[in-house]
Amino acid sequence: MKNSSLSFLKWGGNVKKLWIHAIANIRKTKSASTTLVIMFVLAALLLNSGLLVVINYGSFFNNLKGELKPSDVYFAIPDKIYTNEVKSYIDENEHVKQTQTNDGIVLDANILSNGEEKSFPIMFSNMDEKRGISKWKYVGEHLPAEDMSVYVPDIFKAVSGYQLNDKIELNYTDEESKAEKTLTFTVKGYTEDIYFSSTDTGYIGFYLPEDTYQKVKGILSKPEYLTHVVFTNLDDVKNIPVIENGIREILNLNSASLMAADPSTMLVVIDLELIQLARCMMASMVAAMMVMFAMIIVIVCVLVVRFRIINSIEEDIMKIGSLKSIGYTSRQIILSVILQFTLIAGIGSLIGVALSYPALPAVSAVFEQQSGLKWKQGFDGGISGAAFFILLLIVILIAFLAAHRISKLNPIHALRGETTARKYKRNHLQLEKAKGNLPITLAFKSVLQSMKQNVMIIVILIAVTFSGVFGVIMYYNTTIDTKAFAEVPGMEISNVIAVLNPEKNQTEAVKTIESMDNVRKVQYLDEVKVKVDGGEVVAYLMDNYDRKETKLVYEGRYPENKNEISLAGILAKRLDKTIGDTVTVRYGENEEQFKVVGLSNGSQMGGLSTSILAKDYERLNPNFKHQSLYIYLDKGTDAGKFVDKLESEFDKSMLLTAIDFDKEMAEGMASYQNVVAAMGLAMLIITLLVVTLVLYFVISSSVIRKKRELGIQKAIGYTTYQLMNQLSISFTIPIVIGVVIGTILGALYTNSLISLSMKSMGVMKAGFIVDPYWVTAFCVSTIVFSYLLSMLITWRIRKISAYALVTE
Amino acid sequence: MAKVILKTNKLNKSFKSGTQEQQVLKNLDIEFYEGDFTVIMGSSGAGKSTLLYALSGMDRPTSGAIRFFDAEIADLNNDKLAVFRRQNCGFVFQQMFLLDNMSIMDNILASGYLVSGDKKSIVANAKELFQKVGLTEMIWRKFPNQLSGGENQRAAIVRALINKPRVVFADEPTGALNSAAGNAVLDVLTDINSGGQSIIMVTHDLHSARRGNRIIYIKDGVISGECNLGKYVSGNKLRHEKLQSFLSEMGW
Repeated sequence: MKNSSLSFLKWGGNVKKLWIHAIANIRKTKSASTTLVIMFVLAALLLNSGLLVVINYGSFFNNLKGELKPSDVYFAIPDKIYTNEVKSYIDENEHVKQTQTNDGIVLDANILSNGEEKSFPIMFSNMDEKRGISKWKYVGEHLPAEDMSVYVPDIFKAVSGYQLNDKIELNYTDEESKAEKTLTFTVKGYTEDIYFSSTDTGYIGFYLPEDTYQKVKGILSKPEYLTHVVFTNLDDVKNIPVIENGIREILNLNSASLMAADPSTMLVVIDLELIQLARCMMASMVAAMMVMFAMIIVIVCVLVVRFRIINSIEEDIMKIGSLKSIGYTSRQIILSVILQFTLIAGIGSLIGVALSYPALPAVSAVFEQQSGLKWKQGFDGGISGAAFFILLLIVILIAFLAAHRISKLNPIHALRGETTARKYKRNHLQLEKAKGNLPITLAFKSVLQSMKQNVMIIVILIAVTFSGVFGVIMYYNTTIDTKAFAEVPGMEISNVIAVLNPEKNQTEAVKTIESMDNVRKVQYLDEVKVKVDGGEVVAYLMDNYDRKETKLVYEGRYPENKNEISLAGILAKRLDKTIGDTVTVRYGENEEQFKVVGLSNGSQMGGLSTSILAKDYERLNPNFKHQSLYIYLDKGTDAGKFVDKLESEFDKSMLLTAIDFDKEMAEGMASYQNVVAAMGLAMLIITLLVVTLVLYFVISSSVIRKKRELGIQKAIGYTTYQLMNQLSISFTIPIVIGVVIGTILGALYTNSLISLSMKSMGVMKAGFIVDPYWVTAFCVSTIVFSYLLSMLITWRIRKISAYALVTE
Repeated sequence: MAKVILKTNKLNKSFKSGTQEQQVLKNLDIEFYEGDFTVIMGSSGAGKSTLLYALSGMDRPTSGAIRFFDAEIADLNNDKLAVFRRQNCGFVFQQMFLLDNMSIMDNILASGYLVSGDKKSIVANAKELFQKVGLTEMIWRKFPNQLSGGENQRAAIVRALINKPRVVFADEPTGALNSAAGNAVLDVLTDINSGGQSIIMVTHDLHSARRGNRIIYIKDGVISGECNLGKYVSGNKLRHEKLQSFLSEMGW
């Protein structure tokens, strides 16, 4: 008992000694320790935030689903076509387990959002109607209902800026009279509703108290405004297309065309999987990138820690020698080193994890712009603990491996500092034979002599520059030239889409449109539904794919010949088909074999889309008539004004509807663009911060290590500026190598990385623009920035005194 | 009359230690002459090295003037002093202070190329100096850690001479060497002085001091005496006795 107490006391005493040494070392190297702490703060902040989003964002949505009980799917059926037959079909269908029908009023309205007028597809619902499934709930504070009160999705507060009691105006065009009208409400609260709270998928739900709802119904009484939302739970979600098809067949909805031929007959079908994908996918993608970026920072931290340990062993060799000579074991000294760096990493990681929590609302706000989800993350001890301990474990391991060399140090040699003096054997770049300027030659000499350090700098700069270039490309494609980003959903991008009456002869109308001012090109592109190998998919139809402007095929080509088909990548994977394989395409009773000639990007309809020639489809469906005319305008032409022109040129008997596609795209992509642009910018800023920290760390350490050498050079007549330049050039060389390689890798592989992260969105092969000027500018700026930073950091050489050296 | 190459006027140097100020050199007025091998001696803490480094522009005095040939150097800033040093001074330190990461030849050329762009003649001059100090090519291709103390110090002398300095400043050049190596170094210094090179050397070693023709004794920051020994001749007992007598008078 006495022995074990003594042993424990002895152990406790030893730990205290090691602790004292560790703290003393940290105090001695305050600047280096502070830099390391900052790096770990950054790593921990990113890692914890990323993990919290990756793990908790999805489960947050699942919890919300559990609370609000959304149905598997909803069918929004306009009043005009909601017949008893349709009602019975759904209610009595063998696959349908449960339905709930709620009335709604739909309206395409322009609403002021954050200073800009934007178009929203609104669905007014009666908030007093009871719901068993697909419920909604209040978010945050809400006020009692009054006349013309409205309860809007929380996104209207978070993004559009509407506070309680603010007036919200819905401007719309009366379909019949073409008059501009306004509905004005007072915001009395905010809502969350799984299906109707996102701005880019389906409708946006505005909840009105009963009397206001009836009032609005009276104002918007025409058939095109009234709809019935049938929330449906099925035995198996795979049967959703079965139900949808059945409805379309009953209603004979324009030969299975999906386009909004007549708004009052447009069937909207949104399933839970789609809405979940739409609302969570962006966050998942961003979180995955945050974690990836965090791991890069962790790798940088680990390299820097290793570098620091090896340097500090060299600097303190005599101290280690004296510790050994007075009886400290190698294990004790190694432990004190491990303790020192674990402490630094621990402090940094703790601060980083703590800071990630106040930072998360900002991250959540960015996601909310796109998803409409108000995600609040409280303290998660499990995830934060894991992030903290992962970092600590990595540091302990690296510190152990780096400090292990202490066990090989001979105390006498260490006391003499003999092991510090590197045994140089090879004289790189002999001055006798070297041509060129002295400082540059000395700089290159230094580079060749410090290969290990320079390799570390190169590796760090490659990793960090790669991330920076990734950020530049993301930012460029979402802010400067958004063409490639706009192609991500996989839609053909024109300026205007004219939906023409398929029952009429369109030849003259098309000719007229083609000859209108500012029209560059017109072509038909229709969307229909077919079955491919038994599964329901969307098929795009064109007469000639050569005229397609948005090329989405990443392997092979579009159909050119009879019975050729290109598949979206997701569909191809699902069917396990590739180029050269054959698939069966069926419409109704007709089916034919098609040869797969291409694979394309496409996220429409969950990536279940194909492209075939219109004439091939006509054989399968002889009733098919072209309907959607894509109109391509000259650059700079106002698509909105062109739509007005079309509507004044043609009446409703020919032109069923005209869509300002520029506006639709801009509004649809805006939230995604903001998220990705913010991410790109953040990566860029963090890259520069990491470069600054690493350079500060490495160069400062180097100046301290080279103090003797620099002092000698000063003594023999080198000026401070000459030495600053020499040292800066010696660092700029590995920096240039690292930055150039990182830039090239970033330029070559960013699209591969984007493809990897966007695969679930149907982007099998990203084609983001890698603008050579921007990328080169980033590369050059990083190098210039690094050189200037080096000069700034090496300015401390002025404090190195030749006199101090010789008199020390 | 020998030419005055260095002259001080009321040279003061003090150091701050906490709140206390310690004056090391006190109103020193002294001249140094061209071609002399001047030895500065004194007890520990007398101000010998402080004087040496002030004269050579390695350190700035607290007050007073230093005239080095035609230049007033007391008020020059650090960079100007660095330029001044490379053009006019050669240094031989006790610890040699050669750059570990370069060969001996590169150490010399790193100093030589700083002043002259004529690389060919610098290299030729270096090789001549190596021969003079008795260092072969095999030696000057090596790194400092591969040589003995004496070889390193002789290499340091070559570095000191490569730019044809007006004055060579030596601070205890034999302090870290054994007697044989120390003698070799002293022989080199004597030899270059006999060729007309002005040398100012600090030492506390009697054996080294004998090489000088002029001995200056510093005590408590002031010149307490000086002695002219005449040109060094090996084995001259009278000269040695004169030196010993002078040093006894000084209280050494």
